[in-house]
Amino acid sequence: MMEFITNSVEETLAAAEKVAASLSAGDIILYEGDMGAGKTHFTKGIARYLGVDDEVTSPTFALVNEYEGRLPLFHFDLYRIDSYDDLYAIGFFDYLDRGGIIAAEWSENIAELKDELGEVITVSIEKLSETGRKITVSGKYFGD
Amino acid sequence: MILGIDSSAITAGCALYDGGKVIAEQFLNTKHTHSQTLLPMVESMLKSAEVELCDVDVIAVTAGPGSFTGLRIGIASVKGMAVGAGKKCLPVSTLEAIAYNFVGIDGIICCAMDARCGQVYNALFRSENGVISRLCEDRAVKSADLYEELKQLQGRVILAGDGAELLDNVTEHSFTLAPPALRYQRGLGVCLAAEGREPVEAAALMPSYLRLPQAERERLEKESKAE
Repeated sequence: MMEFITNSVEETLAAAEKVAASLSAGDIILYEGDMGAGKTHFTKGIARYLGVDDEVTSPTFALVNEYEGRLPLFHFDLYRIDSYDDLYAIGFFDYLDRGGIIAAEWSENIAELKDELGEVITVSIEKLSETGRKITVSGKYFGD
Repeated sequence: MILGIDSSAITAGCALYDGGKVIAEQFLNTKHTHSQTLLPMVESMLKSAEVELCDVDVIAVTAGPGSFTGLRIGIASVKGMAVGAGKKCLPVSTLEAIAYNFVGIDGIICCAMDARCGQVYNALFRSENGVISRLCEDRAVKSADLYEELKQLQGRVILAGDGAELLDNVTEHSFTLAPPALRYQRGLGVCLAAEGREPVEAAALMPSYLRLPQAERERLEKESKAE
């Protein structure tokens, strides 16, 4: 397990870059954390590490945003997705074969998903204050 | 002459077939997305074969089951080509296209495609004396349930499709895993499955996603709760 206490957006981005340095093609990050915790900011840090030029924005409306970097980055918001049927119909499973990094928010809505994904990286973001965050990274590469 | 096209799962393929003669075939098993590779592949095949789209009688395509994105790319591409060239289309079952790889190889052909979350899309076929006959409708089943069903079958059972490897793991090699050259859906299988069938207008060509029983149940449950 790896733990970060960050006190600004910039520090959250830097933490994400450190985590991103361990990632390789096909890796899956599942986020835990409330709205406004900083999941999109964390994804921005991953994108920065991967050399993505495009601006990273929340995938809430699009369900998934794709970014071209040294590895492709797929940022999902599964908040409105709560069944296998829906996952199939947004092409989620097809992204698993694309050889990129998947960073997904709200995956806990679909019970059967966790078994399908195998070993994933869990990034849990807890709000300590307006700007302070506790970021806990566990799972693949990072341990329990 | 039939132009057969498949992009229903990870692999993509196309073939030209004319009354018993295989004119051309291409196959890709890469991670490149079909939206970037399918049309250039078809175009290069037609060019190599010196065949124009207007020479083709019908365009056949795997309409499902398969990956959501893959099916949509295949169907949309074929609709576009058919409308542009004024041709009719012929949707075929992906599982049936796989079964047609085994013409001339006798046995029960179990076609299984990985549907994720422990499920496979499956249909069983009998291949006998050069004829492929269907033993059950296309369905979505738990791979463990399918394994139990396969154990009851008599005779040689050949496992094919990208879900065959999943089944092979649980069967401890008691069945025959199709060799790589025959295992996946290919353009030629699409053509053979389409041969002699009645084509449809491009507008009537639709993907047939096989809804999973589990997913159906979930949805029905949700709907009944909402009422």
